[in-house]
Amino acid sequence: MIKDLLGFMLRAAVVLTGTAFITFALLWNAPGDPAQAIAMARYDALLTEEVIALIREEAGLNAGFWAAFFSWVGPLVVLDFGRSAVSGQEVLPSLLAAIFYTFPLAMAGLAVGTIISLPLAILATKKPGGLFDRIAIAIASLGAAIPAYWLGLLLILFFAVQTGWLPAMGARTPTHAILPALTLGLGVAASLTRIIRSGILEARRQPFLPAIKRRGVSSKAIGRDHVAPHAAIPVVTLFGLELAFLLEGTVMVEVIFGRPGLGTLLVTAIETRDFPLVQAVVILTALVFVTVNLAIDIVYRLIDPRIGEPDA
Amino acid sequence: MRQSLLNDTLTVSGLSVARSGRTILHPTSLEISPGDRIGLVGSSGSGKSTLGHALVDDFRAQGKRVTHVPQSPDEALDPLRSMAFQWREAEQALGLQPGSADQKTLFSTLNIEGSDLRRRPWGWSRGMQQRFVISMALMGTPDLIVLDEPTSALDPVVAAATMDLLDRHLGSGNIAMMLITHDLGLAARRVSRLMVMEDGRIVECASTKELLQRPQASASKALVAHRSWVELPC
Repeated sequence: MIKDLLGFMLRAAVVLTGTAFITFALLWNAPGDPAQAIAMARYDALLTEEVIALIREEAGLNAGFWAAFFSWVGPLVVLDFGRSAVSGQEVLPSLLAAIFYTFPLAMAGLAVGTIISLPLAILATKKPGGLFDRIAIAIASLGAAIPAYWLGLLLILFFAVQTGWLPAMGARTPTHAILPALTLGLGVAASLTRIIRSGILEARRQPFLPAIKRRGVSSKAIGRDHVAPHAAIPVVTLFGLELAFLLEGTVMVEVIFGRPGLGTLLVTAIETRDFPLVQAVVILTALVFVTVNLAIDIVYRLIDPRIGEPDA
Repeated sequence: MRQSLLNDTLTVSGLSVARSGRTILHPTSLEISPGDRIGLVGSSGSGKSTLGHALVDDFRAQGKRVTHVPQSPDEALDPLRSMAFQWREAEQALGLQPGSADQKTLFSTLNIEGSDLRRRPWGWSRGMQQRFVISMALMGTPDLIVLDEPTSALDPVVAAATMDLLDRHLGSGNIAMMLITHDLGLAARRVSRLMVMEDGRIVECASTKELLQRPQASASKALVAHRSWVELPC
């Protein structure tokens, strides 16, 4: 157990260090003058060479690559993300504020996706190849094929513009989250439906099921106690990955619906060349993936302790 | 009580199985009396297992208590569920209260007492798993237990020991046993009546002694001729 934990920490450290290094190197070598971009973002005007040079000095752009890298990574260890190069404010509070908007939205998206996909997939597997199964597959394929920006616009057009039932822009009240959550949730539902459906069908082919049936166990109990746990393993993986993608991948939806959040924060930071902010968001994303992977691992082992055993 | 129902003979008639348009079990009728020891032998693909499954399903449909032990414990136990869960589930399927089945007796006859039931199947050796499956099949005293190559996944010593334990438990009781095997040597030592199958038909049915001495059908002759006379422990 302790060995597992150490192994996990080591892997997490490697992933996070790698992410930090690659992000930093990419930004450092990106074309264009970052000092110029910061100046534009701050003062919205073209400035003299002297001011640009001042900004360059202040943002630590004059130090060499390695010096700049370590002066950023060092404080990260104690969760000090530094200050925004544009506003000069601490990065952490704006990061937390963004999470405050993004996290509930991601959860709502996942909930919508689960509520749609679980019954749909279970009903589809009642009669594989049947009419309902085909319809479910069609819905899932359609959901996967429709891009979020188009679906979002359709939802806005219908629920906000034509009927006026729901607000389209902003994040002032919980109702503002309904359309974004639907947009995210329908996309999630598409892939979840397919994986749950195939997970169930796969689990039904387990070699021991006929014997359990001959023992007189009801099909309902077999579905609950034997098919579901086997079907859960691939579903857990996708569920975790969807959650991770939602937490960092709400960019499109946040932009469409004019919501603050991690996505909006990242887009603004990239536009203004706000290195510390971009790096903070990317590191946070890596952290989310590492954590979600750990959670997936733990759930796996709860379902099937053979996973992770040396001689499984 | 079952013991009093000496006329409680299990009967099937005209049992047949077709799969994708091909008949793999031709109409078969047979009777099994309480306490019978029947061996179902034949080469691979002769339809032994098919008949075994069809018998179990047919008798169950008739409301008889018939259990089945597949070839490998992988075909009988869910690797994600603890042994205790699978035992309790079998009890519930029989309508027994949890813990009311004679687990202690069965476990001690099959020599698996004291094993950790909280473990999942793969925490046990395969021999123990198979004996657990057999003990589950004996739960609640069935009318018939069908064993489909029950020892082929086990090494010869464990296999022989397992069959001895099962023999001892069945004793002269009323549980009928059908042993499906391609190994005439194994069947000959355990059963009183042999049925030989070929191409989805029972081609011969006789007492073990008679069939070994005077096989009639060509399939029986082949089996007897090719029987390994080396005394294996099973």
